[in-house]
This record gives sequence, C-alpha cells and structure tokens, in this order.
Amino acid sequence: MRLWRTLLPALMSALAIAVAMFPVAATAETPDAALAKLIEDARAEASAPGACAQPNLDRLVRIFCENRIRPGVREYYPLFGTREGETRSGYDIDVARALAKHLGVEPAFVRVNAATRIPLLAEDRIDVILATMGHNTQRDGQARFIRPHYYQSESIIVGPRALAVKDWPDIAGRTVCVTIGNGSNAQIVSHNARLMLFDEAGVLPGQLKDETCTLAAQDDSFFDYYFIEPAFAARFDKKFGFAQVPWGMAVARAGSSERLARTLDLMSQIFHRDGIFLEIARANRVGTGFLERQQAVWKQPQCNTDTGSANSACVLPALNADLQPTPFVGRVVAFEKWFKARTGVELSLPMLKTMPAWSLFKDGIVNSLILVAGALAATLLFALVLGAVQSSRMILLRWPARAMTIILQSSPVVLTLVIAAAVAHALFPYSSAVAIGAAIVALGLMNGSNAGQAIAEAMHTLRAERGSAQGAGGIPTRELFGRAVSRSATQIVSFLINAAKGTPIASFIGAPELLSALTDITSFASGRATTYSLLLIFYVVVVVIVVWLCGRLQVWLERRQAAA
Amino acid sequence: MMGKPVSAEFISELLAGMVVNFEIAAIALAVGLALGALLALARLGGGVLGAVAASLIGLMRAAPTFVVMFFLLNIIPRDATLFGVGVAPSGIMIVALSLVPYSASYVADNGAEALKQLRAGSPLGALQFLPNVTRAFFVLVMSSSAGAAIGVTEGIAVILREAVLLPSLGDKLVLFAIGILFFGITLQAGFALMRLLQRRLGQRALRD
Repeated sequence: MRLWRTLLPALMSALAIAVAMFPVAATAETPDAALAKLIEDARAEASAPGACAQPNLDRLVRIFCENRIRPGVREYYPLFGTREGETRSGYDIDVARALAKHLGVEPAFVRVNAATRIPLLAEDRIDVILATMGHNTQRDGQARFIRPHYYQSESIIVGPRALAVKDWPDIAGRTVCVTIGNGSNAQIVSHNARLMLFDEAGVLPGQLKDETCTLAAQDDSFFDYYFIEPAFAARFDKKFGFAQVPWGMAVARAGSSERLARTLDLMSQIFHRDGIFLEIARANRVGTGFLERQQAVWKQPQCNTDTGSANSACVLPALNADLQPTPFVGRVVAFEKWFKARTGVELSLPMLKTMPAWSLFKDGIVNSLILVAGALAATLLFALVLGAVQSSRMILLRWPARAMTIILQSSPVVLTLVIAAAVAHALFPYSSAVAIGAAIVALGLMNGSNAGQAIAEAMHTLRAERGSAQGAGGIPTRELFGRAVSRSATQIVSFLINAAKGTPIASFIGAPELLSALTDITSFASGRATTYSLLLIFYVVVVVIVVWLCGRLQVWLERRQAAA
Repeated sequence: MMGKPVSAEFISELLAGMVVNFEIAAIALAVGLALGALLALARLGGGVLGAVAASLIGLMRAAPTFVVMFFLLNIIPRDATLFGVGVAPSGIMIVALSLVPYSASYVADNGAEALKQLRAGSPLGALQFLPNVTRAFFVLVMSSSAGAAIGVTEGIAVILREAVLLPSLGDKLVLFAIGILFFGITLQAGFALMRLLQRRLGQRALRD
C-alpha cells in the first residue's frame, strides 16, 4: 500500500509528461469529430453578421451562406449522371445529394461534360466536380482532388461474344473504336491495334450494334449500363480490362476552397467506412468491387483517423498520365505562339511535344518512305515478271498470269490488302514489318499486274508488227521484251504513281506508316487539324517527288524506244 | 467449302453495301464533273487562271484519296454549321468528297482533251469523253471501299465484319473470293458497258 502511494504520483507525472511530449497521439480525432468541428465552425462564420457579404469568401462558408452546394454533374452518362426532364439520377447524383444532406444544404446541380468540368470549376460556376472524372497526374495541377476517391473504373475492351479475344496479343492488327482523348488510347496503340476515333462515347454501343466497330474500348462504368440490356449482353461481352483509374471529386485549387476540400476528404472517408458509397452504388446498379475493398481499408484503425486521407498507406495514387516531354518542347511551344501572333492561326504540333508522340512520328515517316520505295520496287518487279509471263507463248504460263491479273483488277484495293495481311499473318506472327511487307506485296501485285498487262499488250503488238520472233530471223525475245517495256512506259509510270499514292491505305492493315502514327498521336493529344494538314502535305510532296522521278524514268524509256 | 457458314443475311447486306459504293461513286463523279469542267475550261483559257487551274489539277492528281479522307474527317468539326444549318458531312459524303480530287482531275484532263477535239472539228473524238467517264465511275466504285476505314458500311466493310468472325484462313479466303466475284462482276460489266459505248461511237463514226 505504501509502495502504491509512492508509485502513484510518479506514474501520474510520467503520464503527464507523455501527454505533453506526444500531443498528436493524445489528440488524434476520429474523422467524424474533425468533420463536425469543420462544419460547426463554418456555420458559425456564415451566421456572423455581414460575413456572407465579405469578398473572397471561403467556399465552405459561402455554401452555408447560400444554403446550397453546386455540384457539376453529367447529364448523359448512364447509371452515373442522367437527366430526364427535371429528374436527375445516377451514382454521381446520389453521392452529391448525400454530401449536400450531410452538410444540411440543398444541391444545385450544374450540367458539365468532360471538356467543361474543370473550366467551370476554375470560373467558380460550380463548387465541386462529381462527373466521372478520373484522377491522373495531369489533372492534379488543374483541380484539388478529394481523397479518398469515390469510385474507380477501368478501361475495357468490348466485342461480340463469338470473337476470341482474351488479352493484348489478340488485338494486334485489329481495329478498336475509341473516343478521342481517352487516356487509355496510348496503351492500346502500344499493343499494335489500329484505332477508329469517335468524339463521344455515347456512339460506341451503336457502332458495335451496327457492326461498324468490331471492338470498342471505354470505361467499364460506361458499358455497365449497356450490359444491363439483355439484347446487348447477349451479343457482346467484356474481353478484358486494363488501365484502372480512380475517380475523384474535385474542388478548385484556390486557397478559399481548402476548407471545403478538407470537409469533402473527411466525408469521403466516412462514406467509405460506413458503406454509404456502397449503398448508393447498389441502388444505382453500378459495380461495387472497388467500393467493397475501400470499405475494408477505411475501417482499419490506422486509416479511420482525421489524417487518414493524407496517409499514403490508405489512399490510392493518381494515375500517372504524364508523357515525357521532348528536349525541344519549349522551342515548339514558342514557335506555336509566334505563329499565332503572326498569322492568328492556332497551330498545334503534338507530334513534337512528347517523346511517345515524337517517336511515333519519326517511325511513321521512316515507315512511309520504306513503304513508298518498297511499293515502287514491287510494282516494277511484278510488272516485269507478270509482263514476261503474260507474253509467254506457253499457255500454261500465260493463262494463270492473265487470270491472276483479272482477279487483282476485280478486287477493291482494301480487300486485296486485307487478303495479303491475312495470308501474311497466317505464315508469320504479327509485327509491323510483316504488315509493311504484306502491304508492299499487295500494292506491288495490284499495280504491277496492270502494268504487266500493258507490257504484254505492247509485246503482242510488237510481235504483230515485226511478224517474227527469235529463231525466225527476227529480234531476240529478250530484246523485244525490252522494247515492249519502253513502249508501255506511260502505263508503267502511271501505275508506279498509283502505287505511291496507294501507300497510306496500308494503315488499314496495321502498317505503322505516317497516317497510322498520326491517328495514334491524335487519339491522346490535341491538334487534329494541324496534324492531318501536315499529313496531307507530306503525302502530296512524296507523290510529287515520285511523279518527277517517274517522269525521268519515262523519258529514259522513251529515248530507249526511239533509239531502238 | 466453308467450315463455318456465313450469316443468312450476308448476301443481302453485301448487295446493300455495294449500293453504298455506287452511291459514293455517283456523288464523287457528279461533283468531279462540275469541278473538273470548270478546271478544264480555265486551263484551256490559258493565262494566269490557266496556270492556276493546271497547278490545282496537278495537286489533285497527287493527293492520295485515303489521306484526303482522313483529312476531311478530322478537319471538319462534327457540329459545323453554315448560316445556322448543320454542314458536317456524313461518312458517305466524306468518302465521296475524298474521291473528288481524283474525279475532278480526271474529268479536267479528259474534258480538256474532248474540248480540243471539239475545237478541231472532231465531235466524235470529243464523245470519247463518255466511255472515259464511265471508266472513271467504275474506278470510283472500287476506290470507295476505302470508306471501310472510317466506318462506312459499304460492300467491303460488310465482308470484313463477316470475316472477323470466321476462325480459319481458308474460310476467310472463301469469303474474300465471294467479295471479289461480286465486285469483279460489277467491274467487268462496267468495262463491257464502256466497250459497248466505244463500239457504238465507232460505228457512228463510220456511218458519218
């Protein structure tokens, strides 16, 4: 007992010292208490006389002054934000309502879309974005994202059930319909798929249904709604998912928004922990996997504190969407500004600003030039071979070559390219080189067969004119063939030019030439008008050079004929 | 023999798709005739206007159809309006317009030649313009298959969407052969028509 009396004051002193030394541990609050205090303080400020009339009013205080919060929401994003007349519904809408209810104010919804949501926030026309917005590092500089994230989506590839596509290797060489600016496009491109670009996600299901698109990529949250339709679900399924991105509510990056941001951080924490997000998701029939995992996280003691939203062990990182800039990006931007100042025309050169785009652009130019050179060489080669075979006196050689020419003439260029690609891919695994090779062979065959026919016709007329052949006291066949080539110079040149003009169509079978490269670049960058204008200039210049070179060839061939 | 049969609607869809090919070719030729005639007249007129027309014709000859198609697709905003009226072209119209540089330059070249013949007192030589235009029309029908790349449901797009569901190369090749047959018959019929036209003109020349 005496010992106890002696130890008690000592223990009390030690406890007092510990409390004084570790105040954070001693004063750690629950998120509920921290939230209640924030709201109480802001309400008190709002109720002070004249407080609401002050300039640069804190945004949380203003919400209480006006007794409303202005969430920016979408109106045409099924299951998340839709509007029919005056009735709004969806997961985002119900989350906004739950936030407003917790604050004790009314929600005053403002329509936003993907392009307007951040500008409207910056212009102070909305208080918070609740509009299916993925949180990536690029957007971190434009808005203050609320942590923890209130939802997570991933991009999914959707296609007909009968189509055997399970993973990335299966989409190489296929066309995938995507929306311009979707962050996951770069990833699809890196797996050798071709992109068909659309401005709005809303058109993708229709494009799948009418079979314009065989595969489409978009957020799973977007396709959730369509998979509820029995007819859609019976025809299409999810092939695989990729590029998970957390969705964030966001407020303006202004200092006056910091208390509002902190309030929403705490509310988001509590909504996860208490399953409020989960309930709203179930009510709106959206996927709940992410929310279930998050509920488990936010129930953990180390996360369920007022500082949990700043704890990297509890919150998810933003998706890293920053593309490495080129070393000369500064000069490119300066040039764009100079050009605009001088001409008033907004020039955008995305292919010169980031390393992935620059790399695609360089490869595209090189591949285009290889393709043009290859197509010209193949056309000339097939013209000479098919011309010689069609000029043969042996019917077994002549007729198959003629039949082949008729078939090639009867096949539209796109179909011939697709056939060449199908055969090439059956023989070799998919690669850019195989696609370029298949395109060169197809373009060479198509144009070479026509030029070869012209050579054979010239050979026929020469034989008729001379009435002789080798062994009959006339000109040797080899020399006669040379004269036939010279005589059909105009036709050969015409089909050589045609082959050069046809090379961009190789992008249809996945050859990574310049058109294909620029389509890929514009799928994740801006500046479509400039990009496609430059593309047109590039190909016109290339064809003009080919026309000039072919003109020289024609002159040489005609001189040769004249000499003969 | 195909391992997996094509869908029951395939042939009817293919024919409907080929109608789109003809539609595209008709629009491209109609616009090409109007533009090409103006260019031909300007070129024959000589002077600065003639030089400009010749340069334009040269540029149009050099413009690859496929690139022009993507250029038009990306340069014209989806919500473009003129005096409050929406002018954003449909997919079919974009393909047709992309073929106009070819058709207009072809018409300008052949039209100028026909006008020369006419001025030289050879109306029959000038009439050769008609079979040449017929040839251009069928080239345009075949070239309109480029529309498959931008989602236009023409004949080749129908074949390709069917092919994607076929598992083996053999099945696909049979399907492609059907496509070539359909397009081939059309093309050869077109060329037969052109030859008939040329023969009729020749007979008329002999009579005169």
